[in-house]
Amino acid sequence: MTGAVLFQWVLASLPEIIVITGACILLILGQLMRDGQDHWLVSASVAIVLIAALATLMLAGEVRPAYSGMFVADRFAVFFKFVFYLATVLTFLLSRKYADIEGIGSSEYYVMLLFALSGMMIMASSTDLLSIYVGLELMVLCTYVLTGFLRHERRSNEAALKYVILGAVSTGIFLYGVSLVYGLTGTTQLDAMAAAVSGDPFDPGLLLAVVFIVAGLVFKIGAVPFHMWVPDVYEGAPTTVTAFMSVGPKAAGFAVILRVFLNPLVAASDVWIIVAVIAVVTAALGSFVALVQDNFKRLLAYSSIAHAGFATFGVVAGGADGVASVMLYLLIYAFMNLGIFGAVIMMRNGDFSGEVIEDYAGFAKSHPGLALLMLIYLFSLAGIPPTAGFFAKFYVLVALVERGFVFLAVVAVLLSAVAAYFYIRIVMVIYMREPERAFEPALTPLVRTTLFCTAAGTIGIGLFPAWFLRLAQQSVFGG
Amino acid sequence: MTFPLLSLIVFLPVAGAAVLMCLRNDDAVRWTALGFTMADFAFAVAMLAGFDTTTHEMQFTERYPWVPAIGITYALGVDGISALFVFLTALLGWICVLASWVAIDRKVKEFMVALLSMQALMLGVFSALDLFLFYVCWEAMLIPMYLIIGVWGGAGRVYAAFKFFLYTLAGSLLFLIGVIVLYFHGGQTFDILALTAQDLPFDVQSWLFFAFLIAFAVKVPMVPVHTWLPDAHVQAPTAGSIILAGVLLKMGAYGFLRFSLPMLPEASVYYSTLMLALSALAIVYGGLLALAQDDLKKLVAYSSISHMGFVTMGIFSLNLRGLEGGILQMFNHGVTTGALFLFVGVIYERTHTRSIADYGGLMKVAPVYTGFLALFTLSSMALPGTNSFVGELLVLSGGFAANMAVGTAAVLGALLSAAYLLGMYRKVALGPASVGARYEIRDVNVREMAAILPLAVFVLWVGFYPKPFLNVIDASVKNLLTEVHDKGSGQ
Repeated sequence: MTGAVLFQWVLASLPEIIVITGACILLILGQLMRDGQDHWLVSASVAIVLIAALATLMLAGEVRPAYSGMFVADRFAVFFKFVFYLATVLTFLLSRKYADIEGIGSSEYYVMLLFALSGMMIMASSTDLLSIYVGLELMVLCTYVLTGFLRHERRSNEAALKYVILGAVSTGIFLYGVSLVYGLTGTTQLDAMAAAVSGDPFDPGLLLAVVFIVAGLVFKIGAVPFHMWVPDVYEGAPTTVTAFMSVGPKAAGFAVILRVFLNPLVAASDVWIIVAVIAVVTAALGSFVALVQDNFKRLLAYSSIAHAGFATFGVVAGGADGVASVMLYLLIYAFMNLGIFGAVIMMRNGDFSGEVIEDYAGFAKSHPGLALLMLIYLFSLAGIPPTAGFFAKFYVLVALVERGFVFLAVVAVLLSAVAAYFYIRIVMVIYMREPERAFEPALTPLVRTTLFCTAAGTIGIGLFPAWFLRLAQQSVFGG
Repeated sequence: MTFPLLSLIVFLPVAGAAVLMCLRNDDAVRWTALGFTMADFAFAVAMLAGFDTTTHEMQFTERYPWVPAIGITYALGVDGISALFVFLTALLGWICVLASWVAIDRKVKEFMVALLSMQALMLGVFSALDLFLFYVCWEAMLIPMYLIIGVWGGAGRVYAAFKFFLYTLAGSLLFLIGVIVLYFHGGQTFDILALTAQDLPFDVQSWLFFAFLIAFAVKVPMVPVHTWLPDAHVQAPTAGSIILAGVLLKMGAYGFLRFSLPMLPEASVYYSTLMLALSALAIVYGGLLALAQDDLKKLVAYSSISHMGFVTMGIFSLNLRGLEGGILQMFNHGVTTGALFLFVGVIYERTHTRSIADYGGLMKVAPVYTGFLALFTLSSMALPGTNSFVGELLVLSGGFAANMAVGTAAVLGALLSAAYLLGMYRKVALGPASVGARYEIRDVNVREMAAILPLAVFVLWVGFYPKPFLNVIDASVKNLLTEVHDKGSGQ
């Protein structure tokens, strides 16, 4: 290995290195810091992410393989990294005031988020099952801790414990699948695997391996049948962490799924039916169970299951349009879901939790502007034009119909009609009820900025989807 | 580049809504909304004045790329059929503002913003030449309409708004799949004109026909997917009812005219008997339901189902008289039923009851009101000299030509409408004041007159001299018919 090669490798993974180094420095500085200085932490964390984003942008020009085929910096990874940056930065902005209110005083909170971010970035760039595993573990270990960050709250502890146990099991299943693949094909690299697989797609051992890998990954995106942890963990975790988890790690899970399945394992397409079934059942379960939820965070948890199901329809469609549709879906979902979570986080003030849907009765009367924002996010989540959520669903449906899955497309839209019901129910509570109490949302400039960004994304991509669509289409791997 | 008149018409209400957002005073809001809608109407009149009635080609067309990667354009244009409805929408726009002048007394600004966005989207539907743009406008309308019914409606408004939303959403989503399937079968374009020129195999047409039918039938609404309509109508504020009856219901029928007939001609011809039968069912069943109502608004709502049955019957009779009658009847229904809802609103504001039994002898206390009510009641009954007579006559003659049994059923429906409308008028306007009539009734004031008079003018104008209106649609209808029969004769 020459110096030049090493330099190339370092260059390809520069954004990851920046984030990890930054997080380490922050970890040390955080110990020296006195109380009440966390505004400094927020600025520093945001700065680290922005520098990483800049580095990513500068390296985006060409495909850079690194670390002997374990890692690649291509457009596909760049696209996902920007979704992660978006999710992380907005989570930082939302966290400042929320951390005050909830009494999260420690700097580790921000450091953990940065480490989780680096894990997700590694996942998006991995081209080897082992580097995927490293990224995955780095990410989930941080989210386990973040979930339990409200140490004095039982709910939070319970959620973290549940998450750790189930997460460890799923990781074990994933690793087992990886070891099977290695045993059968003699490699863990995705490309070499593809070559091995295309010979005999019906190898039962390989089928088993695929099922295990699917199971491990499906857990991360919260799809059926490995969705059980989602509602409890989402409800128990600090709301900012829930917002982060519903967008960042989920997108990272999809990044890996797209890379693993649509590239090497697409030859084993007889197992494709598994993915289709997962998509239908996930979207159905998420939509129907959400109908009966009274807790806003739980509802959003089920809604995120439903959305994961809908995005999986794009995976089922496959092909360039299918991949692009999933990517665009996740980008748009990041905007609208962080928006609605931003609204929920903003409501948390004093003794007001903002977690029960009924709490929002008559919100439109006292805060018409904020209510309008929530209306936009909710209609976008429901997929009503002219919001971005509509275009996201539309493009997934286009990909489905293009590949001849018209029946699946019909199922998908009917399920999204069911999903529309519970979003509209929240709009109803906000707009058509009399207020029962006064609202004092914790509106800081940072929260305002977040809400503004997410609203701009939700409306902007809805009205002018062309640029984002082209970006997604060009970022499909290989490009 | 020509002057973008249609974009101006579509976006003027949006601009109005933006201006309204900045205002604080309720009266300023009302006047501004009126100003913008009237200006919009003026442009619509200008559009109609500059409209070339000799051609069926799309006019005032505009075309800009929107999402070029998948062939979506921002394309506007009108032919005779859409021009008539752009005009109707713009006309009812400012009438709706007048109708909600005092009826809406809380959150006036928000209401007017919703009303104006609604208008922009409806205008967008009628002038879109791109299927994606059409769908976006068609579906986005759910948001302001949901709020108009749900926030400013009557006691059962929440349920009604929900029902309206879910019915139309579920219908439209299948339409969306149809649109995407059409996109791939029609050469990966959303251009409505290009798609119309395609010849699709019959089985594809059949599937698409039913996917579209569900969406359009919910909007029309046709029996048996009509049940959201009475709820929505009764709970909506007056302006909401006028929009619903005047424009929203027309969109379903417009969908048949713009998509089902020209794009799926074989299927349209093949299933026309089914559609005629459903229309006859709507005419008779809607009439019977209207006969049984005691609530003024419900009566008008159910009569709408019956009247829209005439419209779909005219369309699917697939002959010149039927089609022209159906389209004219769409316009007439917008004017007449819009006016009737206005009248219900006027009297409801004074008495806060809509029960027919509570009224009686109104003629003595409010002669102008009852006089005009008589005109619109007679128009709704399709008495000669009124607009609906012309339309209904054309529809019936087209319907008889297409199918004797259906035509006969429609005549029965026309009789029914005479029964319930005359009964309603007798109980409300004539005879002694009823027990419940403890109220002081003022006759219509200037503002209400301003809303009623133009509608009355159209009732008589179309009634006595329908030629200019038929002229507008004539070329387009003839072209549509040739398309349907040329391409549809394969079956």
